[in-house]
Amino acid sequence: MSRPDESPLLLVGWDFRQTPVELRERLAFSPESIEAAVLRMREEGLLAEGVIVSTCNRSEVYGVRGPAALEGDPLLALTGFVSEFHGVPRHEIEGVGYRHMGADAVRHLFRVTAGLESLALGEHQIIGQVREAFRFASSAGLTRTVLNRLFQKALEAGKRVRNETGLNSKPISIPGVAIELAQKIYEDLAPRRFLILGAGETSSIFYDLLVARGATNIEVVNRTLEKAQALCQRAGRAYPWEDLAARLPKADVVVSATSATEPVITREDVRRAVSQRRGQPLFFLDLGIPRNVDPKVADLDNAFLYAVDDLQEIAERNRQERQREVVPAMAILEEELEDFLGWFGSLAVVPTITALRRKFEAIREAEFDRSLEKLNHLSPGDREKIRLMAQHMVRALLRRPTEALKEADDPTRRLERAEAAQYLFDLDIDPKD
Amino acid sequence: MVISLLLGGTALLLYLGAEAFSIANLRKEKAVFGLVAKALLTLGFAVHFAALEFGGRLTHTVPYRDLSASMSLFAWMVAGSYGIMRLRHREASTGPFLLPVAILFLGVSLLTHPAQAPAADPKLSGALFAFHVTLAILGYAAFTLSFVLAQLYLIQVRQLHTRKLGLLFSRLPALDVLSRMHHTSIGIGVVAMTVASTLGLIWAKQNWGTYWDPKVAFTFLLIGIYVLCLLAGRFLRWSGKRVALLSIGGYMLMLFSFTIVNLFITQEHVFH
Repeated sequence: MSRPDESPLLLVGWDFRQTPVELRERLAFSPESIEAAVLRMREEGLLAEGVIVSTCNRSEVYGVRGPAALEGDPLLALTGFVSEFHGVPRHEIEGVGYRHMGADAVRHLFRVTAGLESLALGEHQIIGQVREAFRFASSAGLTRTVLNRLFQKALEAGKRVRNETGLNSKPISIPGVAIELAQKIYEDLAPRRFLILGAGETSSIFYDLLVARGATNIEVVNRTLEKAQALCQRAGRAYPWEDLAARLPKADVVVSATSATEPVITREDVRRAVSQRRGQPLFFLDLGIPRNVDPKVADLDNAFLYAVDDLQEIAERNRQERQREVVPAMAILEEELEDFLGWFGSLAVVPTITALRRKFEAIREAEFDRSLEKLNHLSPGDREKIRLMAQHMVRALLRRPTEALKEADDPTRRLERAEAAQYLFDLDIDPKD
Repeated sequence: MVISLLLGGTALLLYLGAEAFSIANLRKEKAVFGLVAKALLTLGFAVHFAALEFGGRLTHTVPYRDLSASMSLFAWMVAGSYGIMRLRHREASTGPFLLPVAILFLGVSLLTHPAQAPAADPKLSGALFAFHVTLAILGYAAFTLSFVLAQLYLIQVRQLHTRKLGLLFSRLPALDVLSRMHHTSIGIGVVAMTVASTLGLIWAKQNWGTYWDPKVAFTFLLIGIYVLCLLAGRFLRWSGKRVALLSIGGYMLMLFSFTIVNLFITQEHVFH
């Protein structure tokens, strides 16, 4: 591995931690602008290969240093490019992002892919976003040997963290916790009947969530029928408030999010509803503040009630559990990092040339000794001449491959040539060389 | 006898392995643990069958002549019923709670294994009697599983009510799945026990000249309770919790019938 200041791996980025949303919006890359930006960086010689990860929480440019960035600070050059590309003054973005090289850049990508750098710790959408960014760059021909390997490794590392730790096993958002609880009563929510009370913002969030999970039996009861009708345009039916008592026994899960100041569902309402339900449990998610469902409902057999506070408490507990999983997740990432750096280090030019010479010299010596055994009649002087001839021949043979390994104009090409030489001559690389 | 004992011991080890991997799967939720547990259980079930087969060949009948053989057969039925439910409901997280029943009974059976095969009793032979006993043991095995499942259901209900949601809560299946598994095991038990009892009555009439034995009354009461468990939710609108409690009550009656009734009330259903 090269020294950090010489490493060809580069990263400049801006995320939600240091960069305000207004600035992030200006630094965001659209799919079209990603291709244009990387192509320009390549044309200008800043990068030999590049991938841009751009989500609502981050804009990051990963790359392998190009020939024009071999002198000076390549990270500052990249920052300058991003500033110019987006038309954002350089001084506005220099102090709010992060810039890494070499192992630090790799580690950052691994952490991002594993969800350790996400706003919601451990969320797994990011792995899909990184995969998509890589796929896009790869199909546009923007990546080669190094970034192909780097991103494949990052995706593997993210997958391992997801499978081998509890970082993503429990939800940490209120709707996520609510859905998980409902699934502990009814495993498959799609065929279940949902009753939503209220047609405001919270109801709308839950309606979308349920529709996304395949639920079709959604009933919305609201004091203003038109609002309920407007909410359930994609699936379900709207009912006037007067129908609440009739709809209650038919529901499996009740989501209540009205702005009522008094409970709109009493213990007696639920007792009556449960008694008509042939033993099926009734689950209440009371998201109203103040509460919409009488807390005494929780005492009833076959009725389960969770209010906002309960959901928040569970979400907080899950958050703490995720926090505890960061250490084992980091251990996995460090393992993968070491693996990647091992591969990357083995591609360095100097050890490759040393190994190539060592290999040729070993062959020369072996062949020389073998030949001399059959040429006993030669004088010591003749033997020396043959030895020198063999040495010259090896040097002459190695001259062009050595030049080719050294002369490549960008680091990726040098690494690719090193990899090819290692493969063709079956070289054993010693990183200490 | 030695082969049967060796095979029984191997089956016990395989069940123990299946249990260990089931627990590991419950704790870490790794697919590979679940697959190993399933493979060990299947292998254990097959080896256990071979052990029973060897035992049966010696006595020329289904191995129920002595308490040790009956317990082994019972353990095999428990493992089999669990396997059926696992396939039917695609649910493995109850394994750590159900497999110990098979392990316990097979272990005790091996410890109490007689040195010699019991002599054949000509009175207790024939296909009718063999089916009666075998199906009754299958019924007991299924009711035992339903007893464990009823408790898991109550644990899950309690956790939901008290909002103490630990590892067990996240790993155990949803209430509706537990309820369906509970119903399946009761269903197997009711069918097996009803057929076993009917065959037993026919056999009793042929051999004793009467249908009557105090055990019969307890068995039909037991079947009645479990039938009520199957129907109470739909027709009496009972909650799952109430059905689970009734199921546990039924199991208590089963234990009473198996111990007190066998030992003190009936003269005909005694294991020697």
